Amino acid sequence: MNLFQTIFTGSKQALAAAEGIVKQAVDEKGRDCKVAFPDTAYSLPTFYAATGKKVTTVAELEAALDVVRSLIVEEEMLDKALNAGLATAVAAELVEAAKYVLSDAPYAAPCAGFISDPIIRSLGVPLVTGDIPGVAVVLGECPDAETAAKVIKDYQSKGLLTFLVGKVIDQAVEANVKMGLELRVIPLGYDVTSVIHVVTVAIRAALIFGAIKPGNLADLLQYTSERVPAFVNAFGPLSELVVSAGAGAIALGFPVVTDQTVTEVPTLLLTQKDYDKVVKTSLEARKIKIKITEIPIPVAFAAAFEGERIRKND
Amino acid sequence: MSEKVLSIDKTTVQMLDKAKKDGVETAWDRKEILKASCGFGLAGVCCRNCTMGPCRVSPVPGKGAERGICGATADVIVSRNFARMVAAGAAAHADHGRSIVLELLHTSPDGAIKVKDEKKLKKVASRFGIETEGKDVYDIAHELAQAGLNDFGRQYGSITLPPTVPAKRKETWEKLGIVPRGFDREVVAIMHSTHVGCMADAEEMLRMSMRCALADGWLGSYMATELSDIMFGTPHSRPTEASLGVLEDNQVNIVLHGHEPSLSEMIVQAAEMPEMIELAKSQGADGINLCGMCCTANEATMRHGVKLAGNFMQQELAVITGAVEALVVDVQCIMPALAKLATNYHTKFITTSPKAHITGSTHIEMDEEKPLETAVGIVKEAIMNFKNRDKSKVVIPNVKTKAEVGYSTEEILNKLDGVVNSQIGPMQSAKPLADVIVAGVIRGAAGVVGCNNPKTVHDEGHLEVIKGLIKNDIIVVVTGCAAQAAAKAGLLTKEAKELCGPGLKKVCELVDIPPVLHMGSCVDISRILELVGTTANHLGVDISDLPVVGIAPEYMSEKAISIGTYVVSSGIDTWLGVVPPVTGGPAVVDFLTNKIEEWVGAKFFVEPDPHKTVEQIVERINEKRKKIGI
Ligand code: SF4
Ligand code: SF4
Repeated sequence: MNLFQTIFTGSKQALAAAEGIVKQAVDEKGRDCKVAFPDTAYSLPTFYAATGKKVTTVAELEAALDVVRSLIVEEEMLDKALNAGLATAVAAELVEAAKYVLSDAPYAAPCAGFISDPIIRSLGVPLVTGDIPGVAVVLGECPDAETAAKVIKDYQSKGLLTFLVGKVIDQAVEANVKMGLELRVIPLGYDVTSVIHVVTVAIRAALIFGAIKPGNLADLLQYTSERVPAFVNAFGPLSELVVSAGAGAIALGFPVVTDQTVTEVPTLLLTQKDYDKVVKTSLEARKIKIKITEIPIPVAFAAAFEGERIRKND
Repeated sequence: MSEKVLSIDKTTVQMLDKAKKDGVETAWDRKEILKASCGFGLAGVCCRNCTMGPCRVSPVPGKGAERGICGATADVIVSRNFARMVAAGAAAHADHGRSIVLELLHTSPDGAIKVKDEKKLKKVASRFGIETEGKDVYDIAHELAQAGLNDFGRQYGSITLPPTVPAKRKETWEKLGIVPRGFDREVVAIMHSTHVGCMADAEEMLRMSMRCALADGWLGSYMATELSDIMFGTPHSRPTEASLGVLEDNQVNIVLHGHEPSLSEMIVQAAEMPEMIELAKSQGADGINLCGMCCTANEATMRHGVKLAGNFMQQELAVITGAVEALVVDVQCIMPALAKLATNYHTKFITTSPKAHITGSTHIEMDEEKPLETAVGIVKEAIMNFKNRDKSKVVIPNVKTKAEVGYSTEEILNKLDGVVNSQIGPMQSAKPLADVIVAGVIRGAAGVVGCNNPKTVHDEGHLEVIKGLIKNDIIVVVTGCAAQAAAKAGLLTKEAKELCGPGLKKVCELVDIPPVLHMGSCVDISRILELVGTTANHLGVDISDLPVVGIAPEYMSEKAISIGTYVVSSGIDTWLGVVPPVTGGPAVVDFLTNKIEEWVGAKFFVEPDPHKTVEQIVERINEKRKKIGI
């Protein structure tokens, strides 16, 4: 299947998934039930930023599916493919919102799920100063825990903020990677759709720090691609859904580096099979220059460790 | 009576007006005077290959005379005429290539012509199996020239094909028996077989044409390009300006017109000499302004950024501005009408090649031994003519357009390096281009080439096709007079990305290139072959598998017929915007537009409407994409 068709297929799957869970929300909670992510003034941030509309009830959640549908135009042109990617992002957000409708606490440790506004505000300054030189989204499953840890710790040592999605979370736990906001490694969730919680970080950064007007999609995409130094590492077999989510990332200006053989697109969608080179490949793709020189001391040294407490048994 | 639109180029319309006022005639006028063309010639069913004729047979099967006196059918006559067009076109490129090879043979470290690009010299030399390690550069050059000459006159075996030809393509050619032997031999073979009482099988005649054309594309033109780069430098991207407005009010305007770069190279050198500039000033001019027309312009602009005055149908108009001190020409596409036209103005019309004398011109023959001295002499003639300019007769259109030129295959690969992740590589490869095509970010690639032809609205075909293609995310490379049309219209700028579809626009931004890349002169179509072949090899497919097309919207010359034939034979579908003289031979038409596809995986399309052309191309490209699953 060609790349664009893969993306369209993934987007349609995302739509179907969203339709399914939204229906469940309607059935179980009714259309009047409130919809909200915790601690945010931006409703469903992706949807809000893209359309300027807030979603407050399950009925509105259901109506929002139309936006996803309208974004999927199966014509083999780049803009249509990127829009389909955005459709997947919006669909993912609807799925995640529905999870918060269906359960009071859909996420449990170590997964963070939705990231609150206060946290984003706290990240704003170090992002602007370059103290956080970039945002890495590590998604999927590495061949083994050791590889996963190596990549994540490398980002950590360089001061990047790393979000984990999928099995890689377990691999990080297994390899004893220290996680937490202060350590700049944040596990989001096991479902692919939980990747939307990092997307909304970028989107809210645009709304908060970039003063982008909700509904102004073009400005939003320009801001994220110019100002939010994020990128995606997708490890392990890629489903159509993941590829189409990747197209969403690319629409936001975030390159995708994968260890799988894919139809590459220069600077945007790259295959790097050598795990030792994944970090460098990604930083170069996102044009991230590390400000601090790495100090050759045995433990990884960087701002990410500032908040670390030395526990007794360490 | 409403006037027919002759050109969509404003300066052209303006100058045609002036021509009328000045009482001089142009090609457009002569076309009018000639009235409707002869239907037999148009259909290709007129034969004058022996003195039993001329014979003209009916272009409608089953009606009127079906055979010539010797018994040749319409199809036979048409195929022979077609073959001779191919032979003439190929011969023009062969002779161009040959003189370039001979120049390489005469390069020396202290001569006027030196080896400028050693890297390319070594690359081409090793292709010919020439040892380069530890050898003197000029020894390599001379050996390479010798090898090239051998292929031109080869009597046995076949020519040295570049590694760019995919293995599958070579096999196809071998199976069809169309791998060229010697270049000159293929031309002679056509002249032989088209003689009365020789070849009388249309399909076989066309097969010979394909073999001859391939010698043009993959040897004659190829060598001309490669060796020109070796001697004069491989082009790199650079800015220039285009349109008749590049002529300067108070400078000595020298217009270079023709084809071979050796003349223009020497004149560029001469015009830059401080003593020449001084001389110009002493004559009251502010300086010397070099401009180009047709393919010489393309050569000089690719390597030096020389300004592009205009394309084929504008050569007379340059003189009509009244501001040209010298129109210096060598060979090919030079309207003999210029000699008479120039007498109406102060313009010196200077011919330089023994291969193209024109009655009424000032002939200053290029001395192969002392090329620079000849050039200095020519520049002096131009300068001394400045005082004869009649200011009251001067009208320079107030239009010029910025353009970026210089996209050799090498430069394109350099640009592509810019988007290669250094952790992944490889550098200097067609991979990024192949990737965006496979991904569908750009749908395909098109070469828009060829001439002008008063049968079409000047430049309209070129521009409408190019704009239509880039809008559909098809990247366009241009050469020849098509390139100048694009330059004048501002399509050779990075800003032109705004006219593109979303994918191509993105690619232009990432790679930092215009959506339309000027790859040079007509012989430089070999650069396109090189790029396409490299891409096919990278993907491990045949050229005919790629979503790549060629278009000649306003072609006129026999060279264009040869080009079209080698492009199709190389596996690239080719659109012609002007109907070739084959319509009287049903089997020939069927072969060229249908059956040839079974042979080489590509065919001719004839479509005078540029918009329909674009639609057909998009459809065909999508078909090809589907076939290889991208
Ligand atoms: S070659 Fe045959 S068709 Fe041609 S002019 Fe002679 S007799 Fe007529
Ligand atoms: S494009 Fe045609 S008219 Fe122009 S220089 Fe080439 S052959 Fe001549």
